[in-house]
Amino acid sequence: MGGPKEGVQKQIQQDWANREYIEVITGSIKKITDFLNSFDMSCRSRLAILNEKLTTLERRIEYLEARVTKGETLS
Amino acid sequence: MPLPKRVVEPVHVARNTVSQAGSYGATGSIPNELEAVTNGTLANTVRQLSSLSKQAEDMFGELVREAHSLTVRVNSLQIRLDRLSVNTKQLDSTGEEVSLQDIHMRKAFKSAVVFDQQVLSRDTMPAPMLEMYSQCDKPPPLYKLNPYREDGKDGMKFYTDPDYFFNLWRLEMLKDTEKMMHDRGKKPHRPKTEGSGGRHKKRVRQPHSTRERQRQLATQHGEYLMPQDNSHYRAPHQPYEYMEENTMMLGLSMNDQHRPSRPNSIELRRSYGPEQPLNQQIGNNTVDGRIYSPPPMSIIDSNNYAAPISSNNIIYDESNMYNHNTQQNNYQYTGSMGEVLSPSGTPSRGGRIRPSQPPPAPPSNNNSNNSTPTVSSASTPTRGRSLSSNRETLPPPPPPPVENNLPFTEPLPPPPPPVSISPPIPSANIPPPPPLPPMPDPPALLTNGDVKSPSKQKSPPNHIIQSKPLVLPADCNNIRQLNGVINDVNTTVTNISSGTVSALKKTPGPGHVAHYDPRSDLLKAIRDGVELRKVEKIKQKEGERSNALHDVASILARRVAVEISDSDSASGSEYDSDGWAEDDSNLK
Repeated sequence: MGGPKEGVQKQIQQDWANREYIEVITGSIKKITDFLNSFDMSCRSRLAILNEKLTTLERRIEYLEARVTKGETLS
Repeated sequence: MPLPKRVVEPVHVARNTVSQAGSYGATGSIPNELEAVTNGTLANTVRQLSSLSKQAEDMFGELVREAHSLTVRVNSLQIRLDRLSVNTKQLDSTGEEVSLQDIHMRKAFKSAVVFDQQVLSRDTMPAPMLEMYSQCDKPPPLYKLNPYREDGKDGMKFYTDPDYFFNLWRLEMLKDTEKMMHDRGKKPHRPKTEGSGGRHKKRVRQPHSTRERQRQLATQHGEYLMPQDNSHYRAPHQPYEYMEENTMMLGLSMNDQHRPSRPNSIELRRSYGPEQPLNQQIGNNTVDGRIYSPPPMSIIDSNNYAAPISSNNIIYDESNMYNHNTQQNNYQYTGSMGEVLSPSGTPSRGGRIRPSQPPPAPPSNNNSNNSTPTVSSASTPTRGRSLSSNRETLPPPPPPPVENNLPFTEPLPPPPPPVSISPPIPSANIPPPPPLPPMPDPPALLTNGDVKSPSKQKSPPNHIIQSKPLVLPADCNNIRQLNGVINDVNTTVTNISSGTVSALKKTPGPGHVAHYDPRSDLLKAIRDGVELRKVEKIKQKEGERSNALHDVASILARRVAVEISDSDSASGSEYDSDGWAEDDSNLK
């Protein structure tokens, strides 16, 4: 009887080891996704800020250009 | 309901692996179930990783694209900055002279910056989200019940309405603006109502003014308008209506040609002038007679405005027409439509025949207006109808005239060429006329006799008339083709002229109508044109309003404009100074 018990115990232990291993893997995947999400969010926020600044810069540049250039007259 | 943008699949890594193992177990090939579950879970984990890598790739792709667009903008901005710095260094405040004139003449600054709109529309939806969206269940096809709804609402909106929040916001914004307007004194609204009322009045008045205007123009040019003409034009109700339809059809194209079309009646006669030197002999004035002879053609083809206009006839018309008009117009208008019609009938038979016909016309003018009109009217209507009918169904009719008039058959072939180009026609017609001028020749031929006779002999033509109508239609077709306008008219004409020959014979009125057409068409075209323009304006306004309602930028712009105007009324100078202050800060 001891042989089969030991066999079952061994299988269960092996299974637990495998589950732990899979847990590590899935945990890593979660970390990756979390990182990707945070990275995406931070990138997008930075890009949005940059975009906003660029827009204001473009408007200022446009104003300055219109101010500096003599401009076309209606005639 | 939140909709995840990206989903890493499979979500349940360890689920169903046992059952799959069981299925394998059925085959008896699985020694260890626990190991099978572990392997299945590992496999799903790998799938998860692959899905994750795909999502990551997509995500990075988006970021890279966005970053790239930003770099492009930054680079262009850098270039502009460099250029600006160079320009600013070149500026010389002492040497630069700015005249007051230049300042006033300087074009207003117009920003080329385009602000994003509809940022959260279906078009801007990212690909992964679109993918998720496409996997969603579609709403039930409630729109199929729309036909059965009595309130006219869209059944779909009871289930889902993507525009709900925008409409909410739009109504709110519009209400605010309306309040502002009202608070200010309701000035904008009153003028609008007054303007609309004035417009309505104008609509009614304009037609009358145009009529009188045209009459005055005609009288100024020496054209003699008989009151009878109007009555004649209106008398043939059927033809008149028919003409109206044509005019309606032509209305758009005719709008620009209103005045030319008027001359058409004259032009028609004028057109004959070049074609028919013979007419001169017949007519009181050689030049006039020639010119007048052509007019019948034009008159006949009320629809053929284009032809007279396009052809050189118009030019002749101005010089010759008026002179002749005074003399001959009296004949045509006063004498009888028949006279005019008869010439038209002759031309219709064959451009070449015209010369022969015109000569008879002058005598006929005095002789019998009534009889000729009937004949002419019959012929003219036939032309109009025949044109349409001939194109589709009439092809056969043209042959009959040929049979009747062997000499005319030759002239007939030329008309087709004119179809392509109106101006050429007169020239083509001109050569034939010389032979035709002799009145006797046309009489010899039944058709010729008919054509010429109508002016002189009204009764005889009747028998011939039937044959003529057929011929005339052919001519008319050619003329219309020449005009090019024909195409538009054809659709209407074809419908009307289902029974071309029979109808032509039966309806002398149409002939009158054809004669009347030029002027009636002008008046109608003018009226229609005016109406159409107004309609367009109304549509434009409606479109503007609808756009304003559905365009975020326009709504905001209007709101801003209202606010600015308010501030201006309150303290415009302050606003301006504020604006400049901002600019100054920007410069710094």
